[in-house]
Amino acid sequence: MTAVDPLLTDADRARAAARAGIRDGLMVMLAYIPFGLAMGAAMASTNVSPFISILSSPVIVAGASQLAAIQLLNAGASVALVVVTVAVINARHLLYSAALEPHLATWSRGTRMAAAFVLSDPMYAMAAARFGRADGGGPEPEKRAYYFGAGISASVGWSVLTAVGVLAGGLIPHWVPLELAIPLTFLLLTLPLIKNSAGLVAAGVGGFAALAASSLPLGVDILVGAATGLLAGGIVLNFTERRQKQEMADV
Amino acid sequence: MFEILAIFLSGVVTYLTRVIFLVSKKVRPPARVAKYLPLVGPAVLGAIVVPGLMAPRGEISLVETVPALVAGVVAWLFWRWTRQTAIGLIGGLVLWWGIVFVLTVTGLR
Repeated sequence: MTAVDPLLTDADRARAAARAGIRDGLMVMLAYIPFGLAMGAAMASTNVSPFISILSSPVIVAGASQLAAIQLLNAGASVALVVVTVAVINARHLLYSAALEPHLATWSRGTRMAAAFVLSDPMYAMAAARFGRADGGGPEPEKRAYYFGAGISASVGWSVLTAVGVLAGGLIPHWVPLELAIPLTFLLLTLPLIKNSAGLVAAGVGGFAALAASSLPLGVDILVGAATGLLAGGIVLNFTERRQKQEMADV
Repeated sequence: MFEILAIFLSGVVTYLTRVIFLVSKKVRPPARVAKYLPLVGPAVLGAIVVPGLMAPRGEISLVETVPALVAGVVAWLFWRWTRQTAIGLIGGLVLWWGIVFVLTVTGLR
């Protein structure tokens, strides 16, 4: 636990936590610049209006699903397919919500519901790191200040990045290709989520199933990949659990 | 209107995935489902990452797939050493640019 300066008031410490959150949120957005520009440029290359593409960031705040939604709209998909695809891509947030609940349990319901709005991939990573410290992220006001400082700065930063990408993505010279920034960013988001062999199998099988399904209509490949990966990972998880139980019974 | 509705509903459904277990302490994932939750992220993100690395421009070919895979491995190694997403991303991206530059200059790409 860090030493507490007796000259600082609670309000001072909350303000310092908010500043730390804003700093972390903006640092994360620096890492998202290539992805944001690549995504914005990809959105701008569709026939969907730039206004809709830019609007997707403050409304959805989840890049991969935003790009999929815009590409589906461009391909003439129905509202239902767009929404189902976005729901599947963003189903991982269920885990974030369940995992953060113990840390946010003492917050008012209204504050928790506001916190959920900015609970993106990087926000989960920042909150998990901060609240997982030995001091649990400090007293409640400091935790709230940090969370919203980071969450709001990252969400606003993401919206600005998307807008810049949509409006200026076409100006990026061809000798600076950015396409790979999207899968690389998601690779780096996936790695910390793989905790065991079941997670690795879910990612690998899900990935190759999506690749094999790439000739299917846009969006369906991700649905097929995610479902197949989840099934394969679930089988491995059950198998390893059974084996562990058996080993314990044998000891 | 149709597009705004799709984006708005996508925002609603995304918000639901984020808020569902934060609304009330009573709403918790059922134990049978909870153990599979940690697999959702890898399965979904894997379905985005693997096609993106194997076929970065929509098709699998030696000159497209190999540089992208090498960049992916390097990004992973950088992340493993530093645990910094930004360093992994920049390391992978810069190496990819280097390989693409060499392949373009030599006329292979």
